[in-house]
Amino acid sequence: MNRLLNLFRRRRDRLDHDLDRELRYHLDRRVEEMMADGLDEPEARRRANLEIGGMTQVREAVRETWSWAWLDAIALDLRYAIRGLVRNWGFTLGVGTVLALSIGANIALFSVVNAVLLQPLSYPDADRLVSVETLWTNTGRASQDVSGPDFLDWQARNDVFEKIACVQGGDDFAAMVGDHAIFVNPRYVSADFFGVFGETASAGRLLTERDVPSGDAEPTVAVAAHHWATAQFGKAEAAIGKRIAVYGNPLEIVGVAAPGFRYPGAADLWAPWRITESDRGNHNYQAVGRIKRDVDLSRAQAQMRTIGATLSRRHPENRLKTVTLVPLRERLTGNLQVMLWMLMSAVGVVWLIACANIANLLLARAAGRTREIALRSALGAGRGRVARQLLTESTVLAGVGGLAGLLLASLFVRGLVALSPANLPRIDEVRMDATVLLFALGVSLVSTVLFGLVPALHASRLDLFDALKQGGAKATMSSASSRLRSLLVVAEVALSVMLLAAAGLLVRSFQALQRVDLGFTTDRVLVAYTEYAVRDLADIRTRSRVYADLLDRLRAVPGVSAAAGVAYLPMGREPRAARDYFIQGRPEGEAGERPQAELHAITRDYFKTLAIPVRAGRDFESGDTPGRTPVAIINQTLARAAFPGESPLGRHIRTNRRSPWMEIVGVVGDTRWQDPSQPPPPVIFVPSTQDWGNSLSILARTTLDQTSLAGTLRALLHDASPTVPVRFETMEELFDFALAYPRFRTQVIGLFAAVAALLAAIGIFSVLAYLVGQRTRELAVRRALGASAADVIRLIVGQGLRLTAVGLVLGLAGAVALARLLEGLLYQISPWDVATYVGAVALLGVAALLATLLPAIRAATIAPRIALQQE
Amino acid sequence: MPSPRFPIPQGTLDMLVLQILSLEPAHGYAIAQRLRQVSRDAVQVNQGSLYPALHRLEQKGWLTSEWRESETGREAKFYALTKTGQKQLAVEKADWNRLATAVQLIFGEA
Repeated sequence: MNRLLNLFRRRRDRLDHDLDRELRYHLDRRVEEMMADGLDEPEARRRANLEIGGMTQVREAVRETWSWAWLDAIALDLRYAIRGLVRNWGFTLGVGTVLALSIGANIALFSVVNAVLLQPLSYPDADRLVSVETLWTNTGRASQDVSGPDFLDWQARNDVFEKIACVQGGDDFAAMVGDHAIFVNPRYVSADFFGVFGETASAGRLLTERDVPSGDAEPTVAVAAHHWATAQFGKAEAAIGKRIAVYGNPLEIVGVAAPGFRYPGAADLWAPWRITESDRGNHNYQAVGRIKRDVDLSRAQAQMRTIGATLSRRHPENRLKTVTLVPLRERLTGNLQVMLWMLMSAVGVVWLIACANIANLLLARAAGRTREIALRSALGAGRGRVARQLLTESTVLAGVGGLAGLLLASLFVRGLVALSPANLPRIDEVRMDATVLLFALGVSLVSTVLFGLVPALHASRLDLFDALKQGGAKATMSSASSRLRSLLVVAEVALSVMLLAAAGLLVRSFQALQRVDLGFTTDRVLVAYTEYAVRDLADIRTRSRVYADLLDRLRAVPGVSAAAGVAYLPMGREPRAARDYFIQGRPEGEAGERPQAELHAITRDYFKTLAIPVRAGRDFESGDTPGRTPVAIINQTLARAAFPGESPLGRHIRTNRRSPWMEIVGVVGDTRWQDPSQPPPPVIFVPSTQDWGNSLSILARTTLDQTSLAGTLRALLHDASPTVPVRFETMEELFDFALAYPRFRTQVIGLFAAVAALLAAIGIFSVLAYLVGQRTRELAVRRALGASAADVIRLIVGQGLRLTAVGLVLGLAGAVALARLLEGLLYQISPWDVATYVGAVALLGVAALLATLLPAIRAATIAPRIALQQE
Repeated sequence: MPSPRFPIPQGTLDMLVLQILSLEPAHGYAIAQRLRQVSRDAVQVNQGSLYPALHRLEQKGWLTSEWRESETGREAKFYALTKTGQKQLAVEKADWNRLATAVQLIFGEA
């Protein structure tokens, strides 16, 4: 860049010097003339100076014409550039496409990163919003789950929050709107909830302190989410005054939140809530707060830690926990950072390769134009002028590429959003805003510098004499130029290998994930979520009977090989909180240090339906009723952890210090519920018939078409109880959902890697094709002197493969160095997995070989006589 | 000496310079002398705008310049009309005549 600036500066100095001489000549002549008329010299000089309007002013006025001329020259350059690009439309189209694709992909991915990670949450003063969480001091882990009494203490003792609120809930509930049974996701919130976010209602009103029920009373009003209200009632205003019975509790909708307000993510309704429980060991709330304007995060954090420490001393249940603040944005999207920045780097690498490719093509073109440039230099175009001309061309190319990229990006964004996991936070906020446009401009400008500067500087260093002397159509640029082009190819190959290796690791890891033995079958299992709302003990008895009947009738349907119910569905949904368990005859241990397990209530045949092996003991039976001995089944992980080296059968276990002991009657195989990449958690199963009773999700294994079975099941259910809502999914869909994130990142990075490899191959091809063109004469002489076609092919292929080999080695070194960054995203694959690296190198090697063969074959078919005659 | 003169209309200076140079190449001082003559006779030319005008015309490609020995033996920057400069002068003259005729026509009819 300095070279160019210097060229401009020197030109300006020369012009200044000339102007001074010109004006001095004028003044001197005028002074002489006036002195001849009888004036003395100082007076003559004064008058002459005055006459032309003052030296300094004239100098300034003249200089002004130069700066306009500079603009004129740019306009001229632009015209030349556009004319040249239009004339070589094939070249322009090729380069433009590569550029537009790579810039477009960058813009698209950046707009996702921008919306998800960079933009502040769309609440007023969103930086002051924090998630107030439990910090477990023994593990150092923060958890969003907080206990009600802790929250009340935090609220009462702090003076750093403007407002702080708690939220409860998370599950979908059965609800009735009119006589229509639906699922709804209600959240129970304290009065300040909307105040924390600074939200206003889009219809009706939000919640106030007066809405909060007193004592154990149930709420009577609710505020609806805008999307839910419009889906349910047509428009927001229509929802006001409507009644909805959530799990039998009638609520009147008094307001609708602003469009787009959804916190926590899945919420449909918010109802007022008062914390009445006193158990500090029960963490069933979440808390959010708005920090006061004049308080910074670290001060708020310090005060909350002090409060947490006080509570730890006062309450034994709090011995191992305190409180911590996590910025809300980090809480919502923090876990996506690694994935999104990884994808951003990948697409950045693709763009770098594209730029290297284009720089290469421009160098080749500049070489083809050596004579033209030399001629223009000889005719007096300054070096700066020539460089500027080439740079203008690059700028026009980058500008056009950037604009086209922007258009393509809006397409790509749609593709990315479609590929992305449905629950990717803030994905609906992706749009082309000012930040994205600025990014697009930046990328285009940097592209210009990356691929435009090298050929421009090169051309300005051109040796005039050599270029003209060489004559002929095949004037070459310096050997420095071909060295540079080789260097660019090496860089392209190296970058591609790195990207291919990274993609390879992710693909293999994803394959491993898909092959994971889940411990149960997802094949041909239909899942029906249902919920049966109960208000009293009579309802609970009815519910058990309804589900038992339903399952019996379902098992009788031809084509259904097994059917069962489960209180919580294993996969994909929000993880079930693990809970402490106790074993009869052993010390209870301290709160916070007790072993934990998941608890699932199921019916008989659950294991049969999902093909989970019973390793010891028995399955639940219809005889396991409330009057009989309470029983439980545990999985192998729990058996190993709790009863190492002994049989768990006949031992007693419970998850609550006040409930009766349950006899362990069976041990079953492990299953991976939530995330296939995690080891199976310890699980306790209890029969839903002995449990307090639960609504069940129905699982049915069938040889029938799953949708037709869904119809049958819906009819059976409606017969049994018309107030039970039902929603269907297949086990495969649930499994897909669990793999959504790994699939997304694997697909996207795989796509980028493929493009990178293609670009690298094109790069090798273009350099070799150019070299063959350059060496036509030399090759012809070789042929004439007896070299065989095979010799020539070997020569060219050898040259191509040497470049490739250097690139491969460098890329391999880079890939190994960077692999550690991927470690957290890999499953059962080492970041240094040899097979992956071999594969990446082999793939690119083959591509490179193909790219070198074409020019080599062309070289071999050069007919010596014709080639020599042409010269 | 001062006779009733009016200031030169905007943009006319360029035309005058082109006209002067259409006779023969000249350096800035000679052009200024010629302009002073014109000034005495008809219109008032601001000498301060001469050099900016010369450089502007050169940038537009209507003039070329070169350093050459002048009548005093000292080197001076001589300006000459280019092909496009000649064309431009013809265009401006034609425009000027059209305007003058039009104005006369209006005054004649009034």
